[in-house]
Amino acid sequence: MRIKQENLIRYKDGNLYCELADIWIDPRKPVKQALITHAHFDHFSFGCEEYFTTIETAILLKERVGDNIKIKMFDYGEEFKINGINISFHPSGHILGSSQIRFIFAEEKWLISGDFKLEKDNTCKKYEIIKTDFLISECTFGLPIFKWDKTDKIANNISKWITNSPEKTSLLFCYSLGKAQRLLNEISQTNFKGNIYSHQSIFKMNNCYRELGIDIVDTLKIENENKIDQLRGSLILLPPSLSKGSYIKNLKNIQTAFASGWMSIRALRKRSGYDKGFAISDHADWDGILEVVKKSEAKNVFFHHGDSESISKYLVEKESINVKFFGEQI
Amino acid sequence: MSLNKFSELFEDLDSSNSTNNKIKVLKNYFLSNKPIDSSWAIYLLTGKSNKRFVSGRYLKNLFSQVYEYPQWLIDKCYLKVGDSAEVITLLLKNKNTSRNNHLSNMSLNELLSKTIPDLSKLNVDQKNLEIKNIWESLPEDNHLIFNKILTGTFRVGVSIGLITKSISKLTNIDEEIISHRLMGDFKPSIDSYQSLINKNINIEELNSKPFPFLLANTFEDKIFKYSINDFQFEWKYDGIRIQLIKRSGNVSLWTRGQELVNESFPELVEKISYIKDDFVLDGELLVWNFNEQIAFDFSFLQKRLNRKSPTRSIQIKYPIIFIAYDLLEINGRDIREIKLENRRIDLEKYFSKWQNKTENNISDIFKICDLIYPKDWPDALTYKEKSRENNTEGLIIKKKSSIYTSGRKKGIWWKYKVDPMQLDAVLIYAKGGSGRRAGLYTDYSFALWRDQELIKFASAYSGLTNIEIKELDNWIRKNTIEKFGPVRSLKPEMVFEISFEKIQFSKRHKSGIAVRFPRITKWRKDKKINDADSLENAYELMKKIS
Repeated sequence: MRIKQENLIRYKDGNLYCELADIWIDPRKPVKQALITHAHFDHFSFGCEEYFTTIETAILLKERVGDNIKIKMFDYGEEFKINGINISFHPSGHILGSSQIRFIFAEEKWLISGDFKLEKDNTCKKYEIIKTDFLISECTFGLPIFKWDKTDKIANNISKWITNSPEKTSLLFCYSLGKAQRLLNEISQTNFKGNIYSHQSIFKMNNCYRELGIDIVDTLKIENENKIDQLRGSLILLPPSLSKGSYIKNLKNIQTAFASGWMSIRALRKRSGYDKGFAISDHADWDGILEVVKKSEAKNVFFHHGDSESISKYLVEKESINVKFFGEQI
Repeated sequence: MSLNKFSELFEDLDSSNSTNNKIKVLKNYFLSNKPIDSSWAIYLLTGKSNKRFVSGRYLKNLFSQVYEYPQWLIDKCYLKVGDSAEVITLLLKNKNTSRNNHLSNMSLNELLSKTIPDLSKLNVDQKNLEIKNIWESLPEDNHLIFNKILTGTFRVGVSIGLITKSISKLTNIDEEIISHRLMGDFKPSIDSYQSLINKNINIEELNSKPFPFLLANTFEDKIFKYSINDFQFEWKYDGIRIQLIKRSGNVSLWTRGQELVNESFPELVEKISYIKDDFVLDGELLVWNFNEQIAFDFSFLQKRLNRKSPTRSIQIKYPIIFIAYDLLEINGRDIREIKLENRRIDLEKYFSKWQNKTENNISDIFKICDLIYPKDWPDALTYKEKSRENNTEGLIIKKKSSIYTSGRKKGIWWKYKVDPMQLDAVLIYAKGGSGRRAGLYTDYSFALWRDQELIKFASAYSGLTNIEIKELDNWIRKNTIEKFGPVRSLKPEMVFEISFEKIQFSKRHKSGIAVRFPRITKWRKDKKINDADSLENAYELMKKIS
């Protein structure tokens, strides 16, 4: 069931690998050469000899890892050659700088979707449809119960959630890179006009986005001496890692929410421990994955990240698309 | 617009963990909606409507048929979501059918009094067509409510007490009065809502009001220094605390949670009404084993508590008894200020009068609690240890000279509970949960050592926090040895402290023992599997008890 040895890209030690170019894609271990689709922590490893990324991803990476790493930077669509293979980055709509990676070798096209979404996001470039022979796609939300609402609708719901409880401080938990900036951009266009605070880790990323020309509303830094009265009616963005600790224990009269695609399921919402959940994701929903598979015109599709079984079976049965498997563990 | 309002109310109640918040949104709903819709909302939220019009399976099949969706895919989704009504709601979002939304103005009243009941009048084909039609005409935000009512699974974390509180806040009428009004056959109508919020309180309502309960404190050993003769000793029953009120012919049974439970125990209400005197009694309601004269386990009582208007056969299968331990009012005279020892004399005096003078036999459903007379404190301890034999939780110790005040006052009543039985066991199997626990491994089996082998001895699913459940779920996925359908066998590594109520020999189990109400009381991360208990230890425990 695995991709055969002669495939251009395959799984090796749990990571995507192109043997011919001796280059890894989003490796989670230090390697010689690494193509990085985007700057989320679970998509790169410290200590690689050389990184290949888009310009935006490079800047975000440096902000997170430090300046002393070796990065080759490319524009979207710019082709470069390694060992006779043409490689290029294309927008994937996931976060700022995120990309799909295309490989062309001997007239055979391979496309790694990276993490992607098709929904509106003013903070990054829209997903670009790329035609390919082989597609390796993520399927984090590969079940038809996942259907995202329009981004504006969710933003308005968040705004309502805050303004309906003016006596409270609203804590919205979200990933500090990407989701936070997208939310800030959207919320600033709603009726909510109160103060917005962001946690240090988010604050840093906001500045990066601004430097890269993205419009992010000004937020205040949370200081220890912020008085409770001062925070009442305002919004605070925090990373999910702070939801359980002592950090929020000092805050009085709060309501909490988590912004994540998983929040569309009631059982997960209840279990999450947050008061409320907003189902907003930077990954594609079921329809999004199907659309990308179709429009890519790929004859062979591989899925990873998520429940690949259902969507594979569906595509084989309904769309007669050749879906292959590779175990991520092997 | 009111169905939308109700959907919003549901969403608000569902996404709030704060009681005050829930009361606030309920109050606002009642204020801003028509009485008829408010009365339907109360009907739904108090769980009075759990009629199943179609099953979850039916709904899933229908969806599969109508939209040509593979059944296996719907089943896959169900595994993730754990609720048929919600699966269909989420899948409907994904149907790009042209919606006409012509039902967007439907009211809650219309949906519940007409649209849904009318479905029952149709044949299967018409019914399917009509449900499809409703799906496509009802705004998306109302689908969950519709599907849940249809499948009889409408539930939200709101107790009848919370509804009572919010109406009490809204109207400035005492909670006890609202509670009384909500009791019985609450039929949704404009009239029923109007009388619920009516500021004029009649005599019957006033008469049903209970006294605040006096609660016991945890035992403190400082009372050892007092004479044993200063105290009254009773068994601590594991039932529900009830204040039984009979005033001017009307009987009310109140729980400590301010709930009126007359409807669950009609046979008690009937028997009590035969007694001539008026009174208020404090006591315990239990399901009683009349052969052995001991209480059945609490689980039997739950079969009665969750059921209104129980059938005759349920009444026979789970026979109840009310055991009175205090008399608070007699023929209109409040005697709470009288000392306990004197109230007890009155209680015994009146009870024997009722037993002799009442035409119907009352002692098959009503008695007064026996007192225990330990010689000294060590003897009291011996009694406490014996409490397992008669299915009680320990002792209640009451100061004889005390008056009946309210709340958890110090130095009046103490509960002296027997310690639970415990063994440290190794986790060997896990199974997936359902509902809120869908998609997580939450049903666990535990084993004890017999020589070098681990033998299963109990299954438990309660006792861990949500965070622990997640952590354990993660571990389970990484440490599975084999999968048998929904069950996984696991690498023996994790040790848990399991507490239970009773332990006895059993031929049906490989381990040779059966335990009652096993539950996880501690995740013993400090222990290795070799530190876990053996079956030998379990047998010892059994010997010690019998």
